Amino acid sequence: MPLPMLSALLTVAGLLLLAVVLIWPVQRAMIRRHVFRREPLLALLVWQAVSLAAVVSLLAAGPVAVFLMRGLLDQPQHRVVAYIALAITAYMLVRLAVAGHRVGASLRRTRREHRALLELVGREFDALDQHRPQSLRVIDHPTPTAYCVPGVRNRVVISTGMLAKLGGPEVAAVLAHERSHVRARHDLLVEFFTVLHTAMPEPLRHDDVLAEVHLLAEVLADRAAARLVGPVPMGRALVALASSPHPTATLGAGGNGSASAAQVRLSLLTESGKRDWALAAAMSTYALVVLVLPVALIGIIGSR
Amino acid sequence: MKMSRRARLGDLERAIMDRLWAIDPPTPEAAMSVREIHDSLSQERDIAYTTVMTVLDRLTKKGLVTRERDGRAWRYLPQSTSEELTAHLLRDSLDHIDTSDRRAAMLHFLDSASADEIDDLKAALAELESRQA
Repeated sequence: MPLPMLSALLTVAGLLLLAVVLIWPVQRAMIRRHVFRREPLLALLVWQAVSLAAVVSLLAAGPVAVFLMRGLLDQPQHRVVAYIALAITAYMLVRLAVAGHRVGASLRRTRREHRALLELVGREFDALDQHRPQSLRVIDHPTPTAYCVPGVRNRVVISTGMLAKLGGPEVAAVLAHERSHVRARHDLLVEFFTVLHTAMPEPLRHDDVLAEVHLLAEVLADRAAARLVGPVPMGRALVALASSPHPTATLGAGGNGSASAAQVRLSLLTESGKRDWALAAAMSTYALVVLVLPVALIGIIGSR
Repeated sequence: MKMSRRARLGDLERAIMDRLWAIDPPTPEAAMSVREIHDSLSQERDIAYTTVMTVLDRLTKKGLVTRERDGRAWRYLPQSTSEELTAHLLRDSLDHIDTSDRRAAMLHFLDSASADEIDDLKAALAELESRQA
């Protein structure tokens, strides 16, 4: 077998293997690494790095194979290898485009429709001045709930049921939490990751990963709120909401014996304030190494 | 402060819906004509009759109001009460919690909790409170 073809074959196989390893064993192991949750922003970036590296590996297969076998593509056996590699790239491109469109378009449509309805029934509210987001709307409903509709025309929504259930400091904590989401655009981090994640073939990916990324965004907002109003009101707000009858109780994430989102968030509040620089350095290094992997692989195998 | 066109339109839809929701009881006999709505709105803002007509048309298309012909004019009623619409809004926000692609459509303060973990949560909170005290 001519050398360019061998190195092309090995490189493409290596890239495929790298993508599978990153999405399967690596991400599954990362879900169990709860220590990452102590640095939620870095953890979100690490997750993006791993998924991005996998996507880039698959996207690179075609162009790299063609490049390594340049000048030899007039021979049929070389062409077959190039076609296979290009098919992998095309497959990934299509999946990425579809995922991007599905996630992006459905998010924006859902938010637009929701916001339109909110403009009709939500009331503006001036009584809460401290940390009150500009875009706050109060809805008249006994179910305690608070959420935000992210975007350029963002809205923070709180129900009268929630206002009745919580005291002043707790309401301030909830609003600071939601304001942190809309200000820091946590939704974009989650959305970008969701696109990368759902672009991966279904048998390969594990959707618990999405729940973890979502949880990290919540932890990030909890910390921002705790910095403003203190961890105790933030914790009290969490417990108050968790212990009120909630229409989504049936969706409980803690059913399989693992700690629920509320428990995880509460335990992390206890530690907020202390930054773990060694952990932060290790996580940053890890993210960088993962991102460099596809390039290194192409460089090492491809240059032989 | 000058409002954008979109904000103005949203504000107007809201003002019109408030007028219609104020109809008590909302029987067909009590339905409001464009003229009546325009008169009511004119007391607090400078607004053209045709604008009111256009917005009512939009609200009809969106299914938020119903209308019936009364001679040459339309008479309007709200399709649902403000409470029904609020309940619908809340359900809509909850619907999007677990359809994995759309998880991030809205971010909920706490999107799940189960009844059997409350004691654990309260214990964890007590610990947090004692540490901060």
